[in-house]
Amino acid sequence: MSTSLLLQYVVIALAVVVSAWVVASKQFPGSVRKLRVALALPLLRQGRPAWARAIGLRISPVAQSGDGACGGCDNCGPATPKR
Amino acid sequence: MSALVPLRLALVGSPNCGKTALFNQLTGSRQKVANYAGVTVERKEGRLQGASGRHYALLDLPGAYSLHAASLDEAITRDLCRGFLPGEPAPDVLVCVVDATNLRLHLRFALEVRELGKPMILAVNMADVARRRGVTIDLALLERELGVPVVETVAVRRNGASELLGQIEGMAAQPHAPRRQLAEGADLHQETRRLLSAAVSMPTRTARVDDALDRWLLHPVFGLLALAVVMFLIFQAVYAWAKPLMDLIDAGTGWLGGAVGAALPAGPLNSLLVDGVIAGLGGVIVFLPQILILFAFILALEESGYLPRAAFLLDRMMASAGLSGRSFIPLLSSFACAIPGIMATRSIQDPRDRLATILVAPLMTCSARLPVYALLIGAFIPQKKVWGVFNQQGLVLFGLYAAGVLSALLVSWVMKKWRRDKSEHPLLLELPSYRIPHPRDLLIGLWERAWIFLRRVGGIILALTILLWFLLSFPAAPLDATLPAIDYSFAGRIGHAMTAIFAPIGFNWQICIALIPGMAAREVAVSSLATVYALSAVDDDAAARALTPLISDGWSLATALSLLVWFIYAPMCISTLATIKRETNSWRKMSFATIYLFALAYGASFVTYQVAVLLGAG
Repeated sequence: MSTSLLLQYVVIALAVVVSAWVVASKQFPGSVRKLRVALALPLLRQGRPAWARAIGLRISPVAQSGDGACGGCDNCGPATPKR
Repeated sequence: MSALVPLRLALVGSPNCGKTALFNQLTGSRQKVANYAGVTVERKEGRLQGASGRHYALLDLPGAYSLHAASLDEAITRDLCRGFLPGEPAPDVLVCVVDATNLRLHLRFALEVRELGKPMILAVNMADVARRRGVTIDLALLERELGVPVVETVAVRRNGASELLGQIEGMAAQPHAPRRQLAEGADLHQETRRLLSAAVSMPTRTARVDDALDRWLLHPVFGLLALAVVMFLIFQAVYAWAKPLMDLIDAGTGWLGGAVGAALPAGPLNSLLVDGVIAGLGGVIVFLPQILILFAFILALEESGYLPRAAFLLDRMMASAGLSGRSFIPLLSSFACAIPGIMATRSIQDPRDRLATILVAPLMTCSARLPVYALLIGAFIPQKKVWGVFNQQGLVLFGLYAAGVLSALLVSWVMKKWRRDKSEHPLLLELPSYRIPHPRDLLIGLWERAWIFLRRVGGIILALTILLWFLLSFPAAPLDATLPAIDYSFAGRIGHAMTAIFAPIGFNWQICIALIPGMAAREVAVSSLATVYALSAVDDDAAARALTPLISDGWSLATALSLLVWFIYAPMCISTLATIKRETNSWRKMSFATIYLFALAYGASFVTYQVAVLLGAG
């Protein structure tokens, strides 16, 4: 296999993985959240090395704000501070 | 109150007094606003910073006529104001918004809010409109009588809320409860009348122009006729005006595909970009002008205040079908997307009416279905004039939208008969003043719709297109292959397996494949068909052809009609299902919605296809 073809397959593999992640997180946000929590928790336990905890922090989902849902096609709009 | 902790402010008031417009003005947000009651059905939170540098958390609450809640959205406001909402601290300051042109109704609720005893500011909104109408309000007297600070606001004007922001800063520095309370046993209506006679002078209760227009637009015959003409013209315009722009986008994507194909060496990446991404996304994006024209009309109608009148006109018809005029606004919202439509049902007080509306909302033609309709109409319906005036394609599109509406009425009627419900619920609906839509607001609304559509194209639709291209391209065909390579791919095999179920309704394997990603977003059905046909093409010329001629040559009219009918009823996207589950809090009801819509889609497509074949269209 030539280098050019190999590179093309690497790009395609990346695009497919990212696409699968986007589809999963947009269509099944609850399940993806649970999956992220399940993956992050073991890495964040006491006694884990710093690098493992850093990865765990990256994987863990952000805290839910408790804002009203704005699902689907509607736009929630930004809520930036305004002077 | 510490300056470090953001002070919690809540915007409360009766529906359609301009709370969300004020929220947008203060926080820089762009939440949806419209000229009718019930647009906001859940709390929204934003941040703002005062001139003193202090930070505030601003809550925009659903409108309520009373703290004795009669619907779900009113209950949210009641519970939040009283601090009963779990996990939600009570607001520190209540900003009660009233419409200066409708004080008779809105002041009553302001008095009720005052009785909560929390620090409160009264914002008299739409002060400019009131002045134009000759309404004069003695703000100082009103402030004295109410015992709370009173300020004027014009939420739709730049700096129209600066005075309010000043009052908020003052209240943050020295918070205090209202200085007056209602006397024991006093009546809210009586007190409202007293305040009005003391501080407000109104030449007439309603605007003269509103009365004149309503004489015609609410007439039982002329009103319905006007509504039919408005709807009809919208669909004519969608076809008549969009063509030049669509041709331009089509040519642009064609050129881009050619340029990228020529620039990259032949190989899988070339195929992914040209046959997958450009063919797929180009097939969807071409319908943007039609979507924008449709939304331009919807936004103009929303701003004008005509929509509640349409709800009033259709109340009798909807009541006989088991719905009420209150269902009109949620159903109308469903033309944009079923999700906000289903959420808007929170303003329906009767739980059975609410459920019926939720179950039929997906039958309204959401904007995601427009590309599918436009593709099939463009391929199979000749573009010619009917009676020398009407665009035939526009007529068919109008018919498809009408079929969705009539089906919704039929389904709700069947549900009403099923549950043997003979009760009728009178419609109580506030008719707002007519307003000429502001071109700037329309342009912002259109820009937002375009942005939402483009974000979907660049997000979920792009992701699904890449996944579909992968499933259509791998694994490669075996060396001794006799069929086209695509038949050996994952997706090809799935598509062929699905034809066992869908062949009786005339769907080929390419259509079957498009149905699966269409569950995530309906427009993806179009991009999927574009990708499938681009990958199935025997040569580059065939691959470069637009989708419309490909399907008009390859499909029978019976198949096209069957697919059109399928998309009138087609089971909704996954996000809609999730919303039904959340709003009904029932897996059973969500499953029922899925099964009945699938059965309806399959049954109607089956009848359409078989009849069309019998008539020689197969």
